[in-house]
Amino acid sequence: MPQPSSSPGSAELEVVPVPHRLHGTPASYVSLKAGQPGMLVLALVLLLFALTAACLVIAWRRTGRGADAKGLRGRLREFGWCAALAALAAVMTANLYPSLDHGRYWWWLAVIPLVAAGVVLLRPRLAAVIVPASLIVLGLSGLGIARGYATGDGLYWLYGYGLARAGDPSMTGLILAQAWAAFLAGGWLAWRALAGRSAAARLVLGRAAAPDRSAHRYGLLLLPVCVAVAELVGSDAWLALMLVLLAGSMLVIRRWPALASRLAAAGLIFVGLLGLVRIKGWLAGGWFLTVGAQPSGTAQAYVLEGPRRFFGAVDVSSQPMAMLAAAEALAVIGLGCWLAPRAFPELRRALGLAPDAELTRRVERLTQSRAVAVDTAAADLRRLERDLHDGAQARLVALGMNLRAAERLIHTSPHAAAALVAEAREASAAALTELRELVRGVHPPVLADRGLTDAVCALALDSPLQVETEIDLPGRPPAPVETACYFALAEVLTNAAKHSGARQARIVMSHSGRMLRIEVTDFGTGGADPAAGSGLAGVERRLATFDGILAVSSPVGGPTIVVLEVPCALSSLKTSSC
Amino acid sequence: MRVVVAEDLFLLRNGLVRLLEAHGFEVAAAVEDAPGLLTALISERPDVAIVDVRLPPAFTDDGLRAAIEARRQLPGLPVLVLSQYVEQLYARELLADKAGGVGYLLKDRVFNDDQFVDAVRAVAAGGTVMDSEVVTKLLGRRSREEPLMRLSAREREVLELMAEGRSNSAIAQRLFVTEKAVSKHSTSIFAKLDLIPSDDDNRRVLAVLAYLNS
Repeated sequence: MPQPSSSPGSAELEVVPVPHRLHGTPASYVSLKAGQPGMLVLALVLLLFALTAACLVIAWRRTGRGADAKGLRGRLREFGWCAALAALAAVMTANLYPSLDHGRYWWWLAVIPLVAAGVVLLRPRLAAVIVPASLIVLGLSGLGIARGYATGDGLYWLYGYGLARAGDPSMTGLILAQAWAAFLAGGWLAWRALAGRSAAARLVLGRAAAPDRSAHRYGLLLLPVCVAVAELVGSDAWLALMLVLLAGSMLVIRRWPALASRLAAAGLIFVGLLGLVRIKGWLAGGWFLTVGAQPSGTAQAYVLEGPRRFFGAVDVSSQPMAMLAAAEALAVIGLGCWLAPRAFPELRRALGLAPDAELTRRVERLTQSRAVAVDTAAADLRRLERDLHDGAQARLVALGMNLRAAERLIHTSPHAAAALVAEAREASAAALTELRELVRGVHPPVLADRGLTDAVCALALDSPLQVETEIDLPGRPPAPVETACYFALAEVLTNAAKHSGARQARIVMSHSGRMLRIEVTDFGTGGADPAAGSGLAGVERRLATFDGILAVSSPVGGPTIVVLEVPCALSSLKTSSC
Repeated sequence: MRVVVAEDLFLLRNGLVRLLEAHGFEVAAAVEDAPGLLTALISERPDVAIVDVRLPPAFTDDGLRAAIEARRQLPGLPVLVLSQYVEQLYARELLADKAGGVGYLLKDRVFNDDQFVDAVRAVAAGGTVMDSEVVTKLLGRRSREEPLMRLSAREREVLELMAEGRSNSAIAQRLFVTEKAVSKHSTSIFAKLDLIPSDDDNRRVLAVLAYLNS
């Protein structure tokens, strides 16, 4: 590499071609010189920022309506990513601004706000992925630029970085500080996204979904990608490099087909983009330009030699061949873009092309638990109707008949009438007993009177086991959750009393982090199996209606521990008497 | 004997009042909600109060709470609590102050007016009357325990009736044995359960309940 800082005192723009294996005429690069970008460039960039701002306004208004309209905080959270993306686009554009100087690559800059605007408008959720990724890339590139400044390595002298001017070695520290800040900020956002299992985390890690297996065959595309990469690297050892890459990719295709298809998709896009850049460079006669802007206002340009001039078996030696190679590169990029959503199912979901797997699972669970809930409710009502019909109702009919008979007999044979009336009284007592049992099964009165804490104490008292309770609930769960937990607990205690052979049991009930947790331990013989037709399976299904779970640990020899967990919030504070 | 009755259902309230008056009680007040009950108890100071557990305004256990509150203000005020269902938890709360003069019965027991009136009188006299359902539950829960296993079947029957607040003569009548036999049984029960024997019905019942509840 040439050292731009080696001739600081030169007064004129100096072009120093690298002497060997140079193609084309060095004179064609002298046109780049320090200066202001054209008004057209400035106008275009400003126009694009205006467009981005307009998109932001539209995005803000959009978050506030529709079926899933959120509160102000939700709107701000979603919109915040869009705003951050727009800000980042501005920073990156400003960051690259000094390299506008040579007026050649200005149109690249137009891409940044344009992409940002598109994302903000079309896929606001994708902004949450792009922002941390861009910050990390920005930080890494800053670290590279700082390294270039420190070692005086050519290319990086083109770039300023944030507040740092281009081509000033004293700016190295400032560049480093800004780069680290960007890198750490991006890393922090990414870490938070990963910890929160957000859409961004799923996109990066690909954990949430089983990849579409049909995409695995595309992993074979990795082989041509390897060839193309080796070709583009173009070192003298490209053949050896290609062989190594091919061997490696064979292994990947065999062992990790999903990874292979992902690498192939990324590789295709990479190769195509790299090819385009290369071809453009070759057309101009060399592929890298290096300018060291000196404090005196003069600049030095170096032309580096272009490596091999092949792209996809096309020798780029003339304009038409270059066009052909460029078309080829575009086709490769297109292929990569086609493959990407297939190889990265997460990307499909992020783009809104496929349903979210977690959502799908949740919908399945809800459908199932709702069906169970409806069935249970219907069965309960049928049982209630039958019990009333066969029990209390029948007894009341008999009662009426008895009283009517007594009414007829009361004058003629008072003794018989008295016997009938006594019978009627007994029948009414029996009807009351039945109704009482029925009410207990529908909604236990003590639960209605006192809430879950005291109802559990009452359960513990009524159990034939010696039950110890340890209850710490600062409030009351919602009534349906209370009822479900009560009956679940009653079932668990009944099981323990019937099957475990235990004499003692313990109930620990607590609430923390929006989760109601009930633990029942019996010191019996263990060996309970929730799958073996005990009432536990029913308990589990009922709790599922509230997203609750039931876990059983019951080694042979005991103890049996049953844990119920139901997510819920507690209402206002209520003291308990037990 | 002056009685305060608290019951929210008009028919039941009237029925109770009529029943009590037929048996020579004087109904000082018949109220329909918990605040009214508390006021009546404090102002009338009846010989006994008959209270429904579930009363307005909240229709939960307002009656029970009002009764406990009244006993806190007027210690030993005899209270007979009626309910459509019995809970050991509530029985415990009523017995907690150990002052006696407490009853806890199912509403069905009103059907047998003689027995019911006996229970009201027992409570008014400072005795303790628990519904047989509560006693059965208590005994059921503890039945596997060592000292209760030692009791004979007849002794268990006597123990149950004792916990319901019956006197020796009532138990003797019920079991068709002599009163002497009952007192023999009870001495044996107290010995087996390590309880101090006593002539006072109330203390006897409390001792039994304390043992069963321990």
